[in-house]
Amino acid sequence: MPKLSRSDYYDLTRDMNWHLTYVAENEAFPPEMAGNSGDIPREEWWKWDEPYKLTYREYMQNQADKDTMTYSVKGAISRSHLFDQVDAGWKSAIAAHYGAIAVPEYQASFGEARMARFGRAAAWRNMATFGTLDETRHGQIQLFFPHELLGKNRAFDWAHKAFHTNEWGAIAARHLFDDMFTANDALSTALQLTFTFETGFTNLQFLGMAADAMHVGDVEFGALISSIQTDEARHSQQGEPTLKILVKNGRKDEAQRLVDIMFWRSWRIFCLLTGLSMDYYTPLEQRTMSFKEFMEEWIIKQFMDQFRDLGMNPPWYWETFLDELNWYHHGLHLGVWFWRPTVWWNPDAGVSPAERAWLETKYPGWNDSWGKRWDVITAHARKGEIAQTLPQTLPITCNICQIPIITPSNPKRQHDLGPYALDYNGRRYLFCSEPCKWIFEQNPARYAGHKSIVDRFLAGEIQPPTLMGALAYMGNPQEVGGQDAENFAWAQETPVAVGASH
Amino acid sequence: MALLPLTAAFRQDFVVQLVPVEDTDTMEVVAQKVAAHAVDLRVAARNVPMLVHFKGKRLSPLDTPLSAGIGPMDYIEVGYADEYE
Repeated sequence: MPKLSRSDYYDLTRDMNWHLTYVAENEAFPPEMAGNSGDIPREEWWKWDEPYKLTYREYMQNQADKDTMTYSVKGAISRSHLFDQVDAGWKSAIAAHYGAIAVPEYQASFGEARMARFGRAAAWRNMATFGTLDETRHGQIQLFFPHELLGKNRAFDWAHKAFHTNEWGAIAARHLFDDMFTANDALSTALQLTFTFETGFTNLQFLGMAADAMHVGDVEFGALISSIQTDEARHSQQGEPTLKILVKNGRKDEAQRLVDIMFWRSWRIFCLLTGLSMDYYTPLEQRTMSFKEFMEEWIIKQFMDQFRDLGMNPPWYWETFLDELNWYHHGLHLGVWFWRPTVWWNPDAGVSPAERAWLETKYPGWNDSWGKRWDVITAHARKGEIAQTLPQTLPITCNICQIPIITPSNPKRQHDLGPYALDYNGRRYLFCSEPCKWIFEQNPARYAGHKSIVDRFLAGEIQPPTLMGALAYMGNPQEVGGQDAENFAWAQETPVAVGASH
Repeated sequence: MALLPLTAAFRQDFVVQLVPVEDTDTMEVVAQKVAAHAVDLRVAARNVPMLVHFKGKRLSPLDTPLSAGIGPMDYIEVGYADEYE
C-alpha cells in the first residue's frame, strides 16, 4: 500500500474543525474554560498554525527513544559513585528543583488537557494533547529519579512531599502554578504557561541547567533535563500562534495584560530557584556566567526579540525588572539561608573569600551591600555562635508571590523597606512590589481569599504560635534539610570581618 | 495592654519581619524589640541611639503604639539615629 508523505495528509487529518449545530459555540467553549477571546470569529481561530508539526506516531517514537536514552544513562550512573562526588551545593540545587517542579509538572498536564479540550482550534487541541502526555511524563520521571536517590539523601523525599505541605516555598510555587495552569482557562494558559513561562524562561533555563549538570558531573540530571527540554521546546510553541490571533484581531491589550502578569510572577519564582542556584549553589569553578549575565544574554534578548516580532511592548514595569537583576536574588538568597530551617534543602552560603570576589566582580557593590550583612553572620559562624545565625520570627510574605518581602522592588524606593499595602473588603494585603500589587488589583476576587503563611499564623491556624510550631505546620523541612550545606567551612576561610563586633 | 503584631524592618537590614510588641510599649522598647531580629544578626551592632518612624514621621521615644495610632500589622521602620542625619 503506497504511503503518503506527511505533508500530503497532515493538515487534513489535523483540522477537525466544524460548525456546531447541536449546541451554541459558547456552550461548547464556555469562557470560564476556554478563555475570553471577545468577538473573534471561530474561523479566525481555525487559522491557528503550529510552527512544529508532529504526528502521533512520530510523537510516540520520539518519546520512546528519549525515555530509553535517559533511563539507560540512569542505569549506568546508578552503578557508579558519580553522584556521591558531586558538590554539596549542586545537590541542594537539584533537591530544591525537584520539590518545586516535579509535582507541578504533573499538574501542568491538567492545563494542557484543558487546552486539548477547550482550545478554539483543532490544530491547537492536537498540540495540547501531546503537551498533556509530555507533562505527565515530566511529572513521573522527575519523581522517579529523585526517588532512586533517597538512599543517599532524604531531602529527595521532598520531590513528592513538598507540594503536599504548607512549607512556604511550596505555598509560593503552588499559588503561582495554580494561577498559571492548574486553575486557568485555555487561552490564558497558552499565553501565560506556554508563551511566557516556558518560551520565555524554562526552555532556556533547562538548556542552561543541563549544561551546568554536565559541568559539575551530574550526568544523570543532565540527561533528565535534556529529555524534558526537548518536549518543552515543542509544546511551548502553542503560545505564539495564540498570541498572533489575539493581536491580529484587536485583542493586543488583553494579550499584553496576561503576559505582563505572568512575566512578573515567573521572574519571582525564577529568581528563587535559578538565581540562588547559579550565583551561590553551583561550585565556583563550574560557573560559566552569572545569573544576571544569563538573564541579559538569554532570557531578555529572546523575550525582547519575540515581543518586537509579535508587535507587543515590554511590560510596563520593565525598569523595575532591570533594576532587580542587580539585587533581588541576593536578598532572596540571604533570606533563604538565614531562615534555612524552613527549606527542605541545605542552602549553600556561597560566600567564601573567592566566591565573594566573584560576586563583587559580577555585581559591583555587592560587598558594600550584601557583603556587610554576611560579615556579621560570618563573625558569628567563626566563633561557633550558630544560634546568632538563625531567625526568631517570621518574615512577612507577599500576598501575591508568597515570597518574603525584601527591599521593595522600585528603583526610586531602594531605601524604603516598607511593603506596598492595600485594604480590600476590610482586610489588609501586603505586597513586595508594585507589580505584585498591580497583579492583585487585576482580579481581586481571584486572589483575595488566599491566606499567606503569615496570615495563617496571625489567624491562629499555626499552633503552637512559635517558630517550632510554624516548622511543624510546614511539614518539618528541617528534618531533611535546613543545614548550611558546607557546615560553615566558608566562614573559616574568611578574614575577620569588619564592623561585626558586639 | 494588648499584644500588637507589627510589620517592621531595621533600616540597614533587607527584610520585613513580623514583630509582636505591646500597645503600651514605649518606642524605646519597640525599637529594641525590632532590633533584636536584625542587629547583631545581619546588621552590625553600634552604640548609637535608635529611632522609630511611622508613616514617614519620627516618633518620640516616649510615644507608644496606642498614642501614635499604630494598629495591627502597620509598618514601622527602626534605625540608628545617625542614618537619618
